[in-house]
Order: sequence, then structure tokens, then C-alpha cells
Amino acid sequence: MEREETAKEKDMTCLEHHAYPEERFSELEKCTICRESQVSTLLSMFGERQHLGFPSIFVYGHTGTGKTYVLETLLRKLELPSAFVNCVECCTPRLLFEQILDQLHQHCPAPENEFSSYERCDSLNDFVRLFTRGILKQSLEKETFYIVLDKAEVLREMDANLLPGFLRLQELTESNTTVLFLTEIVWETFRPNTGCFEPLILYFPDYSKVELQRILSSDYPREYPAEFYSSYINILLGVFYTVCRDIKELRHLAALNFPKFCEPVIKGEAKESDSHKLWKNIEPHLKRAMQTVYLREISSSQWERIQQEDRESSQLKGLSAHAHVELPYYSKFLLIAAYLASYNPARTDKRFFLKHHGKIKKTDFLKKHEKTSNHLLGPKPFPLDRLLAILYSIVDSRVAPTANIFSQISSLVTLQLLTLVGHDDQLDGPKYKCTVSLDFIRAVARTVNFDIVRYLYDFL
Amino acid sequence: TPHSATPRIPERSQAVQKPGSVLEEARIRLHVSAVPESLPCREQEYQDVYNFVESKLLDGTGGCMYISGVPGTGKTATVHEVIRSLQQTVEEEGLPPFKYIEINGMKLTDPHQAYVQILKLLTGQKATADHAAALLEKRFSTPASKRETTVLLVDELDLLWTRKQNVMYSLFDWPTRKQAKLIVLAIANTMDLPERIMMNRVASRLGLTRMSFQPYTHKQLQQIITSRLNHVKAFDDDAIQLVARKVAALSGDARRCLDICRRATEICEFSSKSVECSLVRMYHVIEALEEMFSSPYVTAIRNASILEQAFLRAVIAEFRRSGLEEATFQQIYRQHIALCRIEGLQPPCMSETMAVCHRLGASRLLLVESSKNDLHLRVRINVSQDDIMYALKGE
Repeated sequence: MEREETAKEKDMTCLEHHAYPEERFSELEKCTICRESQVSTLLSMFGERQHLGFPSIFVYGHTGTGKTYVLETLLRKLELPSAFVNCVECCTPRLLFEQILDQLHQHCPAPENEFSSYERCDSLNDFVRLFTRGILKQSLEKETFYIVLDKAEVLREMDANLLPGFLRLQELTESNTTVLFLTEIVWETFRPNTGCFEPLILYFPDYSKVELQRILSSDYPREYPAEFYSSYINILLGVFYTVCRDIKELRHLAALNFPKFCEPVIKGEAKESDSHKLWKNIEPHLKRAMQTVYLREISSSQWERIQQEDRESSQLKGLSAHAHVELPYYSKFLLIAAYLASYNPARTDKRFFLKHHGKIKKTDFLKKHEKTSNHLLGPKPFPLDRLLAILYSIVDSRVAPTANIFSQISSLVTLQLLTLVGHDDQLDGPKYKCTVSLDFIRAVARTVNFDIVRYLYDFL
Repeated sequence: TPHSATPRIPERSQAVQKPGSVLEEARIRLHVSAVPESLPCREQEYQDVYNFVESKLLDGTGGCMYISGVPGTGKTATVHEVIRSLQQTVEEEGLPPFKYIEINGMKLTDPHQAYVQILKLLTGQKATADHAAALLEKRFSTPASKRETTVLLVDELDLLWTRKQNVMYSLFDWPTRKQAKLIVLAIANTMDLPERIMMNRVASRLGLTRMSFQPYTHKQLQQIITSRLNHVKAFDDDAIQLVARKVAALSGDARRCLDICRRATEICEFSSKSVECSLVRMYHVIEALEEMFSSPYVTAIRNASILEQAFLRAVIAEFRRSGLEEATFQQIYRQHIALCRIEGLQPPCMSETMAVCHRLGASRLLLVESSKNDLHLRVRINVSQDDIMYALKGE
């Protein structure tokens, strides 16, 4: 009873806005589920069309919390004059300015106008001038014009005057303009060192499990009843909610695995209300999906094909299982030598690679700080001389230091199996790091019959 | 528009008002742009420059002179006066006529524009920098029987510096040509400029005719002000002396001295309601001096918000703890929270404290890194620690 009342109150606060017709609001509310409070805050900030809006609003929240979607639908449904720009697309300020001006003049680059923009605009100064003129030309003086900058974190890397300029665009252009910044990063990391106009900050919180359930269940397929789909979503969230709260990802997974869920119903093995049976059927399938599709090991289309052909879904080798590279004989040994040089301390080389090294026990080596595994700390750089010394020692036959060997080292660098550390000198004593994993090097060592684990300090 | 229009600014609609009171009269006379007919306290320098230029003019040869001195010691004004009186002498048929041109390094967008400017002033021709250099080179190296001597004043010489120093080189090389008949007067602030930034071949062409303008002493400054006022009774004598002494102790800049006097007349005008019998007294001058010389940092700290002051305290506490002059935001935040607890303030959250930190950084009380570093941004103070402690205690 109480809950109903609060819900009603919420509806009231959201719907009450005398500037717009009621049906538009109900439509808006249908589109933006579980974002009532954000929508109503934004609406009250926007006010009526002729009201002076706040100069800049900073909207932030996680990926998939509906920032872009809510603002887009809000501006579209209420038919507010606006420009919507994705900053990632605008690598130079000029592109950004021209896109905003194009949208202000409702100009679209097309084949007829040879994809040219409405006006040429290179600097913030020009933009302010042209924008003010554009507002007058479109007779928008009596209305608030909205500029939405999506992925606004890119602005920080562009010219230093851009962000402060957009923050006080209303003041600069002396027009009724509101700039909205959409980003995933908090405002604290945006603030320029010389100070700026502080925007109004609005947070879009993450969806809770209940909200996710509501949103995902809202677009159920028409062939099945809503409760059936909703129970499917419930199972899906039970599996995936701990690892993923991104609505896009969840929606994608839901669409992908739904045919498998309906399978028993279609075959007649179970009824739609047999929730336990359906759960037993889908649950292992979803868990497998988490390891394969969610990590993009198997592409979605492959996954669909597997489901259709009714194959066992882990038969296919994923992307990461293809970690096998064909290398020449010496390259293999070079890579092994590089791996050993990267993960063994230089002090232990004598013990591993000299034939008559005298008596050195393992306990003699162990220093306190070296007890942590080198494999945890990552590869260490090593000089070229050490690499060659290890190479000569692990290859049984005589290796001539020909140009071939050296060119193989540099081509391993270009293949990104090794990396050059510190680009100060190319010829004189370069240092390298080995950047392959243990599994990879084991596979390589197996092909040349070399027992690499015996030579690794960590596994002694 | 006509093809050869001369650039001009629109005329004012009303006539300039005559000064109404003694103070207004004094203010007009004390304006920096109101250069007097004869410069007091620069007679010796005036004579030296005059003699140098006159001898070169009489001989019909060329030469260079380097004039240095700190800002506001009357270098440019003296040279202008020399030129003016020389032109007067020429009119009285005492000297061969000469052409006077002037360039200023600060007014040029690029050092190479000097060539363009000189050519335009000499012949009225317009050319690109390279072409102008070639034309000038040709002009100064070919003999012409009826050529009159050219006096070239180069102000702000240090801005004509380029990596190859070709502009400076040609400026000092032309006077050495027999046919050029060019006298170059170069003005800059530092005395050792030729030794510091010029290559040997440039410095040697500049020669050893140097002159340095010493900063004014307090007596000289006093004389300048009284001569400017010229019997307008607007200032107390003691007040003038105080200004002169203060400025002479700091820089010896005449412009600074005149500005302070003008400000003092304004303060006097505001404070005294009766327009008639107002004299600038000692306390007016003291107020003006304080306005000009006092550091705004202490006032800024005193007027900062409580959280900002607490943050400054936290910065100092962190510096004392670590013994370093630099700390990360994270470390200071810990101190800040502890300080707020002690003082009974609601401990602020990270975002608020970050905003406080950046506001202090934007007003340059602190030096902070770019905000992208978040918690790891390093903070230093831009004022001395004593100043901060003094400002925070003096409440």
C-alpha cells in the first residue's frame, strides 16, 4: 500500500510539467524505464523553452546507464532544438565546431553539397561568432538551444581553451544555450588548472538487479507471454549479474541464448510453466556462454550456428586457443633464450648454463626478495650479450653469429614477441624484454624437444 | 575608399575638457605620455649622444652606439630629444640634413620584419622580408653621391635575436660600409647583451661605443616630479620625497614614480569632498604606495573560505611531517581530514577537497599538477610558508 503511494508520488513529480502536453510525457516515460528521477531532474533544469537554462550540465555514470539514450529521447520527444555530437568522431576542434553549426542550421553533408559543411570554422573565436549569428538566423533567440557533447573526456586532450570555452558558452555567445557533457569519468579529473566555470553535476546511478530485470523484460518477443520471457531473464541475471551489469552486454546475451531456452517448449518436452525443467536445460548452457561468448572467444554468429546445429557448444576452439605460431628453428631457440633471460635472475645463469659450475645448491641462491615468483613480477630487461650467451649454451650444435641470427632477433621484435626497452641506442648494447606467456613458450619448447621448466628458476 | 588612404582613428565627438582643479591639472602633467621638453637629470647622457651623432653627421660617416639601462630610466626619451634638437639645428643651417627612422623590436611580429619596416620607412616600398633585405643590402653597399645620412633608432634590440643572428648582423654591418652613411642607435635593457647573446662577429661590429643609463636616485626622481608639476601646487613636498625614496630604493623607475603620484592624486580627490583646497599629503601617498607594492597573497588567504584555509594548514602540516616541499593530494587529504575533525568541521569528501585544492591552484596560491592525476597529483605552495602562517594567524 505504501509502496504504491510512493510510486504514485513519483509519477506525479515526473509528469507534472505544464509546458508540455501530457501524452508526450507518458510516451517519454514509456521510453525511459527506471530513469524517472533523472528525467524529472533534467526536465526541471531545462524548464520551459523560453527559460534561461543552466550554462553547462555535466552528466556522468557507468557504461550502459542510459546517459546518451535518455538525453537523446528527451530532446527528440520534446522536440527541443539541439545538436548532438560525439567527441570521439571529432579529432580536431574544426570538425567539432562544424558539426554543431551544421546541426544548428539543419544542414546535412550529402552528395549534393559534396559533403561540405555549412560554414568553415577553425577556432573557438569563429565558432562563437558564427554560432551567435546562427542562433539569430534560425530565430532561436526565444528558446534554449542544447549542445550535447557525448564522450566528453576526449575534450581534455584537445586544445586547452575548448573545455572552458564550452563551459561558459552561454556567456560568450550571449544566447540561451545549454551545453551538456556526457562522460563516464568524474568531473574532478576534468577541471583545468587555471579554473573554469563550474557546471551542474548530475549522476546516473547503475541499474539495480530489479531494474535490469524490468528493462530487459520490457522487450519480450511477441510469440511468447511476458512472464515466460521474464523468467528467462531472471535465470540469465542469476548467472551473469555477478560479472556483468552492462545492459548492452546483457541484452545481447539474452537475445543470443533465448532460442536454446525455448527449445524444450518447441519440442514439446516441457510446458511454458515448467520453470525447473527449463532452468535445468539452460543453466549449464549459460555458464558455457560466459566462458566463450562473453569473452568473445567465439563470435556471436558462430554461437548461433552451434545452437542451431545442436552441437556440443565447447567443441570449437576459441580465439585464444590459436596461440600457435610457426617459427624457424633458430627463432624458436632465440625466443626460448629470451624467455629464460627475462625470467631468471642473472646470478643464476652460471648454475643453469655452465657445465662445470661447481657446487651451488638452490638454497644458496634464495635471497629474501627473490622468493616472490618472477612470473608474477613480469619480464625483466636483458642485454643482447646475455641473450646470445644463453642461446649458444642451449643449442647443442655450433651456432655461427651470422647476419641471419641478428635479423631474426629484430624480426622477433617486429612480431612483438620481444620488445626493445629504452630506444636510446639501436646498435650499441640494446636491451630487450620477452613478451610471450609461459604456455606459449612451453609449446615452442616442446617442438624443439627442450625442457624449459628445468631451466626456470621459479620452478626449481 | 581611395587607394592610398592613410589609417586614422575616428575623431571624438566632444572637445577635450580643460582641467577643472589643481589635482586634475597635476594628473595631466604627471601622465607618463606627457614627456617634457627637456629631461631633467639626463643632461650628461643627452650631451654624449648628441655629440656622437653630431660628429658622425659632420664627418659624413656611419657608426653604432649601444644604449642600455633598466626600464624607466629615460633611454628612449633622451634619444628622441637628441634627434629633435638635431633636427632643429639642421633647420638653422648648422648641420647637413639627415633622415631619421625608428623601429621597435616589440612591435614586429617577427625579427625579419625589421627589414620590411626599414625599407618602408626609407623608400616607401613594400616587399617581402627576403627581398627587402636584398634591396637594403644593395642600397647600403652602392655609392651614391647625394645620399644624406640616415639615423636609425632600434628599440628593444634583444627581440631581434634570431638563431643565425642575421638581422642583428646586418643592422650593425651596414654602418661599417663606406657608402652607407648610416648611424645606428640600439637600445636594450641589459648592459652585457652584446657579450651574452651576440656572436663575436656581431658584437665586434657593434663596437665599443656604449652608454648605460643608471637608475634614478631619489633626488633625481624628486627633481623629475617637481619639474613636471612646474609650480602647480598639488603636492606636499614630503609626500614627493617619500614617493621618490620608496621607488628609488626598489627600482629607480620614473614611470612607476609618476604612476604612484597619479594614483595619490586620485586617492586625495576621493577622500576630500571640497574640490578647492586639496593637497596631496603624506597619508595619501602611503595609501597609494601600499596599493602598488603590497602582495595580494596575504589578503587572498585571509579572505579564503574556512575549508580553503584548513587545506592550506593541512599542506603545511604535511610538509612539516615529511620534511619535503612537495606532497601528493592523497597525503594532504589525510591531514586535512584530521585537521577538520580537530576543529569540529564536517570532514569534507574527496570531491569537495579536490575542488578546494583546484581553486587554490587556480588563484596561484598553490602549484598543482594537471587534474588528470587524480589522487596522485602533486601539490606545492607558491607563497612562502611564513606568509601563509602569518595570514592565517593574523585574525
